[in-house]
Amino acid sequence: MIRNNVRGFNVFSRMLVMAAVTSLSIALTAGQSLAKYPEKPISMIVAYSPGGGTDTAARVVAKYVQPYLGKRLIIQNKPGAGGQIGFTSLAQAKTDGYRIGFINSPSIVMVKMLRDNVPYEMSDFEPIANIQLDPVVLVVKADSPYKTLADLVEDAKKNPGKINVGGDGPQSNNQLQLIVAEDKLGVDLNFVPYNGSGPAITSLLGGQVDAAVPSATSATTHINNGRLRALGVFSPESYKYLPGVPTIKEATGVDIPSVGAASRGIAAPKGISAEHKAFLTKAFADVMKDKGFVEQADKMGLPLKYMNPAEYSAYLEQAAAEAKKYIHLMK
Amino acid sequence: MFENILLGIGPLLSVNMLIAIAGGVTGGVLIGVLPGLTSTMGIALLIPITFSMPPEVGLAMLGGIYLASTYSGAISGILLNIPGTPAAVATLLDGYPMTQKGQSTKALALATFGSCIGGLISVVALLFIAPPLAEFSLRFGSPEYFLLAVFGITVIASLSGEDVEKGLIAGIFGLLLSTVGNHPLTGFMRFTYDIPALFDGIPLVVSLIGLYSIPEVIDMLTRRKSGEKIKLNLDESNPLRFFPEVISQKVNLIRSSLIGIAVGIIPGVGCSVGGFLSYDAAKRSSKKPEEFGKGSTAGVLASETANNAVTGGTLIPLLTLGVPGNPVTAVLLGGIMIHGLRPGAELFTTNADIVYSFILSLFISNLLFVPVGLFMAKYCVRLIQIPRSILAPAIMAMAVIGSYAIRGSMEDVWIMLFIGFCGFVMHFFAVPRAPMVLGLVLGTMAEGELSRSLSLIHGDVGAFLIQLVTRPISLVILILCILSLVQGIRQQIKKNSVYEN
Repeated sequence: MIRNNVRGFNVFSRMLVMAAVTSLSIALTAGQSLAKYPEKPISMIVAYSPGGGTDTAARVVAKYVQPYLGKRLIIQNKPGAGGQIGFTSLAQAKTDGYRIGFINSPSIVMVKMLRDNVPYEMSDFEPIANIQLDPVVLVVKADSPYKTLADLVEDAKKNPGKINVGGDGPQSNNQLQLIVAEDKLGVDLNFVPYNGSGPAITSLLGGQVDAAVPSATSATTHINNGRLRALGVFSPESYKYLPGVPTIKEATGVDIPSVGAASRGIAAPKGISAEHKAFLTKAFADVMKDKGFVEQADKMGLPLKYMNPAEYSAYLEQAAAEAKKYIHLMK
Repeated sequence: MFENILLGIGPLLSVNMLIAIAGGVTGGVLIGVLPGLTSTMGIALLIPITFSMPPEVGLAMLGGIYLASTYSGAISGILLNIPGTPAAVATLLDGYPMTQKGQSTKALALATFGSCIGGLISVVALLFIAPPLAEFSLRFGSPEYFLLAVFGITVIASLSGEDVEKGLIAGIFGLLLSTVGNHPLTGFMRFTYDIPALFDGIPLVVSLIGLYSIPEVIDMLTRRKSGEKIKLNLDESNPLRFFPEVISQKVNLIRSSLIGIAVGIIPGVGCSVGGFLSYDAAKRSSKKPEEFGKGSTAGVLASETANNAVTGGTLIPLLTLGVPGNPVTAVLLGGIMIHGLRPGAELFTTNADIVYSFILSLFISNLLFVPVGLFMAKYCVRLIQIPRSILAPAIMAMAVIGSYAIRGSMEDVWIMLFIGFCGFVMHFFAVPRAPMVLGLVLGTMAEGELSRSLSLIHGDVGAFLIQLVTRPISLVILILCILSLVQGIRQQIKKNSVYEN
């Protein structure tokens, strides 16, 4: 009887201990899984080809954000149709926190406005952090007769439609910037699209066009080595890597909105949980202050510009509103 | 300059450097062999890895990938009639017939030695005459590019084999396909049916995979029961014994290298066009043009020498001006900038040690892909003896995966299958496929540059035509176009009269 009792107690106590251990371990793992997001690598959709400006920037960010995420950030290139394919795939991605994207404005709003049947809305995205802001710059060849922007404007007024300006295109942010400038300055220039800022600069170096409107990052080397002269940068403040170049307002006295400036940042699909969003926001805010990252970006000439989710959302909304005002001029 | 070259030798002799080059070359050979993996993709994916390396080591590795993958596209082309990279399309024309005759080792040896020699000559050009050549490349404007594309299209006759008419049909079909996608000047969408994958036009690598692998797969499946195997001439299994034959074609090697370098220097033209133009030149100047398309050694050598000579050529404007001529060098530019280096004249002075050790590393890469390629080829030649019932599904699987992997897009797989079906129909009616590739590559360029030329001259067609003869470079290309056409037509008439007699 006693032995039985003892045995009975033994069995009971064993069961109790096992139950306690099991429930404790369940509680622990549950606690861990909440605390431990991300449990696996996060993938980031890039809407442009491997090796391009956007992709390279994304890969640098991915490398340096890893310690802050605790897991790898894997780049997934979904290029094509001027970003439409990648942006669409981000908008429709799962909201489990393991899928985010690198988005480009104003491209993302222009694609939507210029084409029919684009299957995403701007409200499909949850902005996390803006990483960089790359303004458009107006350049001429070093031996060009246009010494200042005023020279070019004056000539354009005398010869409407005769001055050839090369740039990334067609329907690019660079073209949008030029159209807005033409509208504000009351001039008529002939925009000639090339397959990117690079080829546009090449044709300017060869004297095939009179001026060009490339992105500042792609023109900086040529400006600093004296082959090209920058007449103005389409940005409210002066550009970090081109300290001597006047802003467009300083050069013309006219307020020209910098709608063409290319912003690149991180966004998640709408519907991602608040904890995941907070975690990602902190990780990307931290990497923007990371010494190694800032040094690497500086070495590559990447113009960093951090915006938190609220600022970035406001920026995207404003970019969309500005683009909307002028987009009809491009159709 | 010579002291700079000496300065560059120092870092070259470190163990890290040699490991990086060997790794780049081996990886490059693999990338090139597999259709769907391109040099551009390989380099882009490796750039982040080169972050942590010293710049000269990282660049040497990227250079190794570029050179080796441009060469090794020929291996799958020669053995399976499927080009591993667009650069190898002209090589198939004679490389695959050689395989069918049991001479695959010979064809691979020709391709390997030709690529090596073309590559080496182009690096010499890069080392010694880069700056003046780079300045020259800037003088090409839209009218010149337009005429260059037209000149490229005139070589269709050479790529057509027996029936020039069929070649023209294929060429025109290629040109027609090249009009799909957005208009280069206005962005207006043509024949895209709201499919975003078509907005940028029919993707070249995807269509190459379909065009060459699908007909091959169907062909293999229809003959799967027949026991005949492609024979492999084992007495010729030592590739080195073909080296003297390669060297004996001095004129061909030098001409092809020069064509390759010239094509490389002009931004935006590319390796495949270099191969086509050089093949055409070899055929026209050959005493036995009738051998071309049936396994001519001169044809394989011309195409392969030229496409690797393009590599050194493309680096000339890249390093001296920061002007990338093709997608690979555009990615390489990113790889250079990531190390804080800025292309231009000062790259050769302030960073002379880095840039010269990079250039010198290209010599090593060019030499190194010879043993790596020949070693791989030794085992790859066995591929053609795998039973068709195994090889065909394997190729099919690779075609689907390869076309999906490029952009991670299922639409691209459908495009590949559609072009593959077109390729099968063409194959069935013995319509040559190379002219279609030429049309697809050059059609976009011809159309874009023509409309850009007209925009630059404000729509004045008369002024444009005058420009074509008053701009010196454009006049030279125009004369070349006319000569090319006249000679082609004359040969055709001669051939017809032979038939009639």
